[in-house]
Amino acid sequence: MPRVRVGRDKRAEDGGAKKHRVQREHLLFLAFIAPNFLLLGVFTYWPMIYQGYLSLTRWNMLAPRKTFVGLDNYASMFGGVEFWGVLFKTFYFMGTVVLGSVALGLAIAILLNQRLRGRNFVRSVVFAPVILSGAAVGLVWAYIFDPNYGLMRTFLEPIGISSPDWLGSTEYAMPAIIIVYLWKSLGFSVVIYLAGLQNISKDLYEAARIDGASKWVLFRHITLPQLSPVTFFVVLTTIINSFQAFDIIAVMTGGGPAGATTTLIWYIYQEAFVAFRAGTAAAAAIVMFLLLLVIAVFQIRYSQRGVHYK
Amino acid sequence: MMNRRISRRNFLVVSGGTLVSLAAFGCGGTGGVQQPEGETPEEAEGRTRVVFWTAFDAKNGEAMQKLVDDFNASQEDIFVENQFQGNYEETAQKLATALAAQQVPDMVVLSEVTWNRFFLDDTLEPLTSYFGGGDPDPEDYVESLIGEGTREGEIWWVPFARSTPLLYYNRDMFEQAGLPDRGPETWDEMREWGQDLVRLSGNPKAHAFTAAAEYNAWFFHGNVWQWGGNYSDENFNILIAEDPAVEAGEFARRLIHEDELAYMADNQEVDFANGLAATTLASTGGLGGITDSAQFEVGTAMLPEQRNFGCPTGGAGLGILAAAPDERKQAAFEFIKFAARPENVAFWSTNTGYMPVTKSAQESSEMQSYFQENPNFKVAVDQLPSTQPQDTARTLIPNGDNTIGTGLERIFVSNEPAESVFQEVAQQLETDAQDVREQAAGRV
Repeated sequence: MPRVRVGRDKRAEDGGAKKHRVQREHLLFLAFIAPNFLLLGVFTYWPMIYQGYLSLTRWNMLAPRKTFVGLDNYASMFGGVEFWGVLFKTFYFMGTVVLGSVALGLAIAILLNQRLRGRNFVRSVVFAPVILSGAAVGLVWAYIFDPNYGLMRTFLEPIGISSPDWLGSTEYAMPAIIIVYLWKSLGFSVVIYLAGLQNISKDLYEAARIDGASKWVLFRHITLPQLSPVTFFVVLTTIINSFQAFDIIAVMTGGGPAGATTTLIWYIYQEAFVAFRAGTAAAAAIVMFLLLLVIAVFQIRYSQRGVHYK
Repeated sequence: MMNRRISRRNFLVVSGGTLVSLAAFGCGGTGGVQQPEGETPEEAEGRTRVVFWTAFDAKNGEAMQKLVDDFNASQEDIFVENQFQGNYEETAQKLATALAAQQVPDMVVLSEVTWNRFFLDDTLEPLTSYFGGGDPDPEDYVESLIGEGTREGEIWWVPFARSTPLLYYNRDMFEQAGLPDRGPETWDEMREWGQDLVRLSGNPKAHAFTAAAEYNAWFFHGNVWQWGGNYSDENFNILIAEDPAVEAGEFARRLIHEDELAYMADNQEVDFANGLAATTLASTGGLGGITDSAQFEVGTAMLPEQRNFGCPTGGAGLGILAAAPDERKQAAFEFIKFAARPENVAFWSTNTGYMPVTKSAQESSEMQSYFQENPNFKVAVDQLPSTQPQDTARTLIPNGDNTIGTGLERIFVSNEPAESVFQEVAQQLETDAQDVREQAAGRV
């Protein structure tokens, strides 16, 4: 009997120690995530929640009190023409930049994947703008685009085209911004595509060539499908980055002329820090958040399923 | 097994410590306002440090720094630190965020538009009691200028870099075109003379309008008055979509898009100084810079009339932040005193082109002889008595300047009819006026 009792006690003790250990592991887990969680909480989650609250108020950032207005900010934003224009410009910018990054990025990558002399040098040159500061790039390009003494004029005049007032006209300002943004960010997609190209097995090409495939067929049926995960990655990162294109717009056009280059992020800045309408700015930021959320969900679903050639 | 050694106590110590340090980081510990940091030289040690946020760069920035340096050299107890923050708008943006973050300067340069916002939200210090000893004498400031900064019987905003728009013309071009050596008296005359000016070599435009970021709504305020219109009345009734204002807008649109005599410059001062336009409107505060950089003879004139004469006052004044501790507010006011001495007003004015804001300075021999030698500057001072404070749509309605300015860009750049543009602008101003109407009632 005493033995049994001892055994029982021992088991009970074991259970207690296990419970204790589980508790301690929980604490340990908390200890490990605490620093990161606090940082994320203070600098990411809390601002996000606060932002949501702000979007339901009218506040000029100075007054001690915020007026609660419910969904008025959203209603007036979506009820007016301006915000739809801003969304249109945002997608116009994004769409063109994505197309450009994919098409030009792939073209340049294929070119730089050939055995050419000075290839490494050119590769560095192509990538260089990516690491330049956006403000500096914007300043230099503002001079290039200047209709009176800009470099663009020097290039266009000999071929009989008069350089438009790029940044001063509502038609050309956005194309000008897109050109600069593409020039600056293209190197990134080139590098990603280059890596992708080098991962494609040579055997595939060899086998296809033996079967008599032309260069176009090789590209169309081997290169492109093999690169589809890379393309997917390039498209997503470009979309997300293009939403944040702020520096170039700030330096070159300030969202103008007449709002022609006011994208969503510039609109948010304008509402918050120029017009001091914290409520509308927060509402617009929430719209941007939701748009990016949709893209992120899309990305997670597809990358789990895997984007592969068939 | 390493991890097992973290005891509950250690865990609590670590996480508690993290929390406390984060809280301290977030709130600055004490809960009171803090003074922004900067580069304070050794000589400032032991003195009361005043952080002064300013909005002047280039030539005007140098004059600002000189004034501050002179003040510091005259002082043993106070050190003013000049911190340049960008243009008026950027300075106001930073001040608003600084107030939210409770890290505020003691004294700040605020424009005729931006000071209103800080006044209405009770962030400025009422200054009348500081003038108590009669140094400086509030009566010494030009009445209309100090009057603009006086509300509810208190002085809140002290005249400093006050300006008006001025017509600048390229005297060399006028001579080549066989035109008299004066500015056009009316906009019709501008249009007539423009035909001769655009034929000159280099194909200059006759007139450069400017962009919203360069305050086109301020310059165009004159045009609207000249046509007999208004942006709004003092009760925030919006008048920009009424006939006279629309006619002023249509005249500008036709001058640009039909007569092809004018255009919108990104920065009209730069374009004018580079000879791209024969005339433009720019602030008197640009006189120093334009005269320095232009390779030709610069002429100035009073604004063209149309049906009336009309010219707004503008520019900046000094405000002291209510949140600063008393000692620093007193110290900051010492600088305001210093800046109001006739010789300092004259120094600032002659180096920048801003108006001499005190009567004693205007009458000083230094200023008088400067007028003699610089007729261009004399024009600005002669024009001053005919100027008036702006309509509430631009100064008080939140974002009013930008709303009107962006509308003007649509007329200037996109050739949109003034009527429809101004109707949209009026609608926006109407909406934004709701916020301020109550707040400003009885206070402005």
